[in-house]
Amino acid sequence: MIELRGVTKSVPSGTGTLTILHPLDLIIRHGTVAAVTGPSGSGKSTLLGLVAGLDAPTAGTILIDGIDITSLGEDALAGLRGTRIGFVFQFFHLLPSLTAYENVLVPMEIAGARDGATRASALLAEVGLTDRSHHYPSQLSGGEQQRVAIARALANDPPLLLADEPTGNLDTATGHTIIELLLNINRSRNTTLVLVTHDPELAARADISIALRDGRVVETRTVSRKPADDVAAADVEAKEGVG
Amino acid sequence: MRFVVRMTVRELRASWRRLVFFFVCVAIGVGAIVALRSVIQSVRGELVREARAMIASDVIVSTNRSWDPDVRRQIEERLAQPSVLDRTEAIETATMVRAAGRGVARMVELRGVQAAFPFYGQIELEGGLPYSHDLLRDRGAIARPELLAQLGIKQGDALLIGGQPFTVRAVLSKEPGRRTGAFTFGSRVFVDHADLQRSGLLAFGSRASYQLLLRVEPAGVESLTRTLRRDFGDRFVNARSYRSTEDNISEDMARAENYLSLVGFVIVVLGGIGVWSVTRVFVKQKIRSIAILKCLGATTRQVLATYVAQVLLLGLTGSALGIGLAAIALRAIPDSMTSALGGQALALTGSAVMQGLAVGLLVSLLFSLVPLLEVRRVRPLLLLRGGDPSIVTVPPFAFAQWRDRVRAIDWLQVSAAVVVSAALVGIASWQAASVRVGLIVCGGFAGVALLLLGAGALMVRAVRPLARTRIFALRHAVLGLRRPGNQTRVVLLAVGLGTFFVLGVRALQSNLLDEFSLELDRGGADMFLIDIQQDQVERVRAFLADRIAPGSAPARLIPVLRARVTGVRGREVNLDNFQDVRGRGSLAREYVITYRDHLEANETVIDGEFWSGQGVQPRAAPELQVSIERSIHERFSIGVGDLMRFDVLGRVVQARVTSVRDVEWEDSRNGGFMFVFRPGPLSAAPHTYIGLVRAPDAPTARAAMQHDLVESFPNISAIDVRDVVASVQGIVENVTLAISIVGGIALFGGVLILIGAVAMTKFQRVYEAAILRTLGASTKTLSAMLAGEYTTLGLLAGAIGAAGALVLSWAVCRYVFEIDWRPAPLLLIGGALVTMVLVAVIGVIASADVLRKKPLATLRAE
Repeated sequence: MIELRGVTKSVPSGTGTLTILHPLDLIIRHGTVAAVTGPSGSGKSTLLGLVAGLDAPTAGTILIDGIDITSLGEDALAGLRGTRIGFVFQFFHLLPSLTAYENVLVPMEIAGARDGATRASALLAEVGLTDRSHHYPSQLSGGEQQRVAIARALANDPPLLLADEPTGNLDTATGHTIIELLLNINRSRNTTLVLVTHDPELAARADISIALRDGRVVETRTVSRKPADDVAAADVEAKEGVG
Repeated sequence: MRFVVRMTVRELRASWRRLVFFFVCVAIGVGAIVALRSVIQSVRGELVREARAMIASDVIVSTNRSWDPDVRRQIEERLAQPSVLDRTEAIETATMVRAAGRGVARMVELRGVQAAFPFYGQIELEGGLPYSHDLLRDRGAIARPELLAQLGIKQGDALLIGGQPFTVRAVLSKEPGRRTGAFTFGSRVFVDHADLQRSGLLAFGSRASYQLLLRVEPAGVESLTRTLRRDFGDRFVNARSYRSTEDNISEDMARAENYLSLVGFVIVVLGGIGVWSVTRVFVKQKIRSIAILKCLGATTRQVLATYVAQVLLLGLTGSALGIGLAAIALRAIPDSMTSALGGQALALTGSAVMQGLAVGLLVSLLFSLVPLLEVRRVRPLLLLRGGDPSIVTVPPFAFAQWRDRVRAIDWLQVSAAVVVSAALVGIASWQAASVRVGLIVCGGFAGVALLLLGAGALMVRAVRPLARTRIFALRHAVLGLRRPGNQTRVVLLAVGLGTFFVLGVRALQSNLLDEFSLELDRGGADMFLIDIQQDQVERVRAFLADRIAPGSAPARLIPVLRARVTGVRGREVNLDNFQDVRGRGSLAREYVITYRDHLEANETVIDGEFWSGQGVQPRAAPELQVSIERSIHERFSIGVGDLMRFDVLGRVVQARVTSVRDVEWEDSRNGGFMFVFRPGPLSAAPHTYIGLVRAPDAPTARAAMQHDLVESFPNISAIDVRDVVASVQGIVENVTLAISIVGGIALFGGVLILIGAVAMTKFQRVYEAAILRTLGASTKTLSAMLAGEYTTLGLLAGAIGAAGALVLSWAVCRYVFEIDWRPAPLLLIGGALVTMVLVAVIGVIASADVLRKKPLATLRAE
């Protein structure tokens, strides 16, 4: 479960301070698909970065499965990301000097997993890239690169998958494939999936949709999409202007 | 750990081509250190093994005046002990020899030896003839083949020594301890000791070394040498053992080894700058990968370890390559040079290899550490942001931001830089075996580097207005020099330093050689006559009168005596006896003194009064009058009015200092003397004369003059300054060549750094070129831009190097050699232009990719 309590983010700008996220409370239960939408500069990616521990909030606390990540140091955060969080970027961000297979293998090596080789092959098979496993990123198409990135994000079987505009850099058809892949993963592995997206179709398919504008939540919507017995109900509270 | 190892291997697999310059930079420096150390260690080993053969005995006791009977008797008493097993005598002197009836006379180093010579080592003769003293008995001689060739005689012919015929009975191929290459007055000729004594060459005051060679029980060598030195040191007798010779050689060689290794170290540091720049750009290019790894859960320590491991592997590879290069270099040294160094095979020595390896690894690690620490600052958050993370834009300077800048300083990086600097001083001190030298070298290097960097920054600023030119290619060429992440300063530093080395040494050489040839052209004396006896003066003067160069000044014959200061009673110093004088260093050396009633043109009195026009001093005067040179006054605080005591060939005389002279040593063709006495009492003492003559220019006339001189006055030796200049020129050329090779290696290192810098920044250029092409730039325009950028860079580096060389040659001429300085403008301008062309050509060739790559592929990849 992800829990944000009074989280804000400001950065110094010129003479004053620019608030990117206004105080925000948010709970996303385990297994949920949450979509964060909003125009450019609304604070979507900042929110995702905070949840991933890639950045620290100016105020407030963020709990991932009960662990307060705002109190963790850089290396502890790295450890948490390695085992509990998978991240998929808009620009894929594969390591250019490594093959697809090795890219998938890296997180398991960092975590010291023993069955890395088999798992990496299995994950590449799962995303349909067995025959491309020894290609370098520069030899893969955008869609293929993103599938490698998804396989990499799943390497340590994290309970939480974060995706920053995963289809933003792909054509519509390839984008569809990627969306299906992510939703399938959510279903089959019961992974919490938090997506930042501009795509209304994708947002519509999420369990909850959070719309941001100028760093404030302007709308939250809960969509019932599956039999309720195996999916925890999403419970979103967004309060504006607290404190 | 497994992750670190695997990532290191994978990263190297992908980027070794880009890092190839990293290990080439290390390899050149390590190669230089290993090769230089190995050569010297091999030579030292050989020389130490030969130490006993070099002095042909265990202990050698010598004096440069004929044995004083009293001293000799006392020495004999000391030698009458059981540890002295055997003894033999020898005399060495430089003199003229000629072939009977032929025109040429040559100076040789003559050695008269007795039957027991040598106790150690072998005299080797041509044709496999065994050496025996019988070959020398009854006016036999053994001479070097080159002398026989010069004189046009062969084995069995007669050789005139001191006007007396000797028969050349054998040809000398090798004498123990004497090597070809070393400076000598002439080639070696052996004769019998008794024959030499009878030859008339050893007249009063002649320069000769009288030697007593001893074979001593090993246990007694040191104590005997010490006793002799202690008891007879102040009576013109010197004693040394093969062990002290060995120690001297070891010390000299160790010093040479350490200094040469410093040269290697400087090259390694230059390579280190290359390593630093390669690492800096490499880390910048890797920022995204590092962010990804951190995002995937890798800790900073793991990432840092991955890159440090890469650096160590590259350093190791580079060092190994350097050792390989050194091995090849040693094999490439021609045999002629090997024999000049002692004739033994040169091979890599274990200690040189280990030192090279250690220095290579340390320098790689130290120079890459500071840029590698950047890894810590990479935040994975940047992956969520677009744009190029490798370009960090620095906001324009403003006071308000100054505090932020100070806050933004990475203190760990700063402390690492301090530790690295200290470690480099440590390595330099280790290589030079002296902390002081290590500090000086590092300080000097840092100073030069800062100057070059500053000059580079100024020059880049100076060409900045060109960025507003209407010529597209030129504008972009100048902008290219200021591209973010540019290598301009590093390339300027490396190439500038190399140019500076090469041009500086060349400029110095041309100054030195000019000075020598000018001396001769001024019409001054070009032949010195030595050992002219008092009764020969008038005859020699008459002889020279019709033989000197037409139109030149008459020959000057100057009386000379050898003397030693044995005491000073003055206002500032009081030295009661010779022991006290010896405590004042070089004041105790033997001086050549003269007497005359006038000042020479190159002399001026700076204190007191010279006795010009006062006539001679009465012979019975209780104290003589002496004029001292300025350096004696300054170094030993001796001034006008002080009373000095001299030992002039065994006679003690007192002299009052009446004036201090300044001698222009650059213009010392008339001879420069530290002590000049007032004529009178000294004229009566036995002494010899030297002659300063302008000999005819035509070689045949010179040879005829030398020949006739030796025939009429067999005891007089003539030193042809032109021959000396030629041999000095040879030595200067060799030294210049050696330093030029070092400079060449430095320049080569600079060129490699240039290629490396081009390769490292190429990705950015390729991208820019692709965009410019898309916007309509032709290949010609792009080539012009590249050529413009590198030509400017080359010109700046060349100009910096040439300016540095100008300053260096001026400073060395002025303060070290004290000769007139000539700026050698053609050499420097030519050097700067060659550097410009070199950098431009290499830069453009190394950037060929930029012109070749199709823009679409590049833009897609981005």
